Amino acid sequence: MGLSVAGLSFRYPGSAEPALDAMSLDIPEGGVFGLLGPNGAGKTTLISVLAGQLRGKRDEMRGSVRVEGSVGLVPQEHAFYPMLTCLENLRFFGAVQGLGGAELRLRVDAVAAFGRIEGVLARRAGQLSGGLKRRLNLAIGLLTEPEVLLLDEPTVGVDPQSRAFLLESIRSLARPGRTIVYTSHYMEEVQAICDRVAIIDAGRVLISGTLDELLQNSGEPPPPPRRQRNLEQLFMQLTSRSLRD
Amino acid sequence: MGRLLALWQKEWIALSRDVHGLAGLFVMPAAFIVVMTLALSDELRAGGGRGAEFAVLPADGGAQLAARLASEGFRAVEPPASEAAAREGVRRGQPALVLVVAPGTPPSFRLLADPALPAIQLAAFQQRVLGVVLADSLGFDLNSAASFEVEVVGNPRGGRPSSVQQNVPAWLIFGMFFVVMPISSLFIVERRDGTLARLVSQKVPFSLLLLGRIGPYCVVNLAQAALMLLAGVTLVPWLGGETLALPARGDLLAAVALSTSLAAIAWGLLVAVCARTMEQATVIGGVGNILAAAIGGIMVPRFVMAQSMQTLADASPMAWALDGFHAVMLRQGGAADIAAPCLKLLALAAALLGAALWVHHRRRA
Repeated sequence: MGLSVAGLSFRYPGSAEPALDAMSLDIPEGGVFGLLGPNGAGKTTLISVLAGQLRGKRDEMRGSVRVEGSVGLVPQEHAFYPMLTCLENLRFFGAVQGLGGAELRLRVDAVAAFGRIEGVLARRAGQLSGGLKRRLNLAIGLLTEPEVLLLDEPTVGVDPQSRAFLLESIRSLARPGRTIVYTSHYMEEVQAICDRVAIIDAGRVLISGTLDELLQNSGEPPPPPRRQRNLEQLFMQLTSRSLRD
Repeated sequence: MGRLLALWQKEWIALSRDVHGLAGLFVMPAAFIVVMTLALSDELRAGGGRGAEFAVLPADGGAQLAARLASEGFRAVEPPASEAAAREGVRRGQPALVLVVAPGTPPSFRLLADPALPAIQLAAFQQRVLGVVLADSLGFDLNSAASFEVEVVGNPRGGRPSSVQQNVPAWLIFGMFFVVMPISSLFIVERRDGTLARLVSQKVPFSLLLLGRIGPYCVVNLAQAALMLLAGVTLVPWLGGETLALPARGDLLAAVALSTSLAAIAWGLLVAVCARTMEQATVIGGVGNILAAAIGGIMVPRFVMAQSMQTLADASPMAWALDGFHAVMLRQGGAADIAAPCLKLLALAAALLGAALWVHHRRRA
């Protein structure tokens, strides 16, 4: 199990610059893998390739992609139907993935409980608060108990309480046999829940490893508590302070 | 099948909760039907307001009868050379009526009638024949006639419809094609919100996503057809217009409506896939529909168009659909009469769906 890309290049049609530039990355099975990078670094493109959303012609995509196990994607958008209720959304996304009958009911109940959205199942998804929408988004991604869970900035636009809940929930999902890839701009989130981290920019991997390895290699003395601020310093050092968009 | 049912159910729920969009699909064509039927009722009455033309055969014995039958509403024309020629003439709606008198003792009468002629006008001519023959001593004693039968000569393309016969199917077709709006807007929202990407990542084939829209919108289109025909039967006469006569073959009408629906939905799906924004979808779908309607004899009946425009009209899918509806509603045609328009619409639907898939895969690549 696990994921890897080797020499992966991807260029969007009409774009002069590649979104992924000969990227090679191994994401071992189990644990939470953090993918950090400034805007336009290639995080979402990599997630889209891993999720099977992006394919390319020979001149647009090169290299190899290996994804073992079933994949669940939680996009950064609220990727559900706002006019459907939460329950209708969960049932729909379960049914299109082949769940049915008692199994579907069980899975819907389980993910609703996990996301703590049982109380709003009858409400239309479009009327939920930002935090509830994020939880519904996550719950939909868990319906089929995927072995690979791709989370693309899952905490954007939520209050601190919802963020804390989401982070705890995501951390609790990590188990042997399940790989979680987590992209974010928030260093403290990555420090809090990720076992391994890669920092990417301009479609390339700048550095990759466990948090300890990264912080030791940064050459900075680790002030206690060691994981606070240092990852952000390392990130800024590697990706520079120039604005990206 | 379970996945397709889930897609249909989702689409149906989403559509049913878009009350304003759904209402527009029904109110808009109904309003056009009422307004245009009433506006054109004088212009299109009895074939352009000119009165129906008729002839009597045989020419030598029937000239006097023809002169007696002529009135403000019925104009006598030169009789055809033979009954076969008369039949062919009526098939084209020229003249609309031919009274064939078979000599004998007693003589028999057969009235060849253009099915496009409004029923009330046909009945009036029959009454006129009876009245004239009974009142006169022209040598034809209808009481002692062997028979007096009316034969409707089918012709799926010729003749002129009345206002209600033109406008009900025309604006119904226009309304059916406007499903392009909800189809494309829901699809663009799905793409914008990442729902489509999520479904693709869940290994839901794109072709299944397209098929998932066909069922619910077919139901909407068929409901449109039923309600617009009902408007022609009830609402239009209530407001002073002519009553729409429904055909005997409801199954053929349903077949034409279904073919039209599939073409309209496939057009909507292609627009949905091609358009990147709501604004693009509105412009491509809306303007496309209006152009097809203008060319296809929806806004202006084809028979009043210049010959070159009538030829151009044959390129519009809305004209094909109108041909199909007229073949059933106007000419009481059979399956053979609707085969060509239905096949053209179905072929178009298949081509548009293929194009939508091709555009999607090309973009995704």
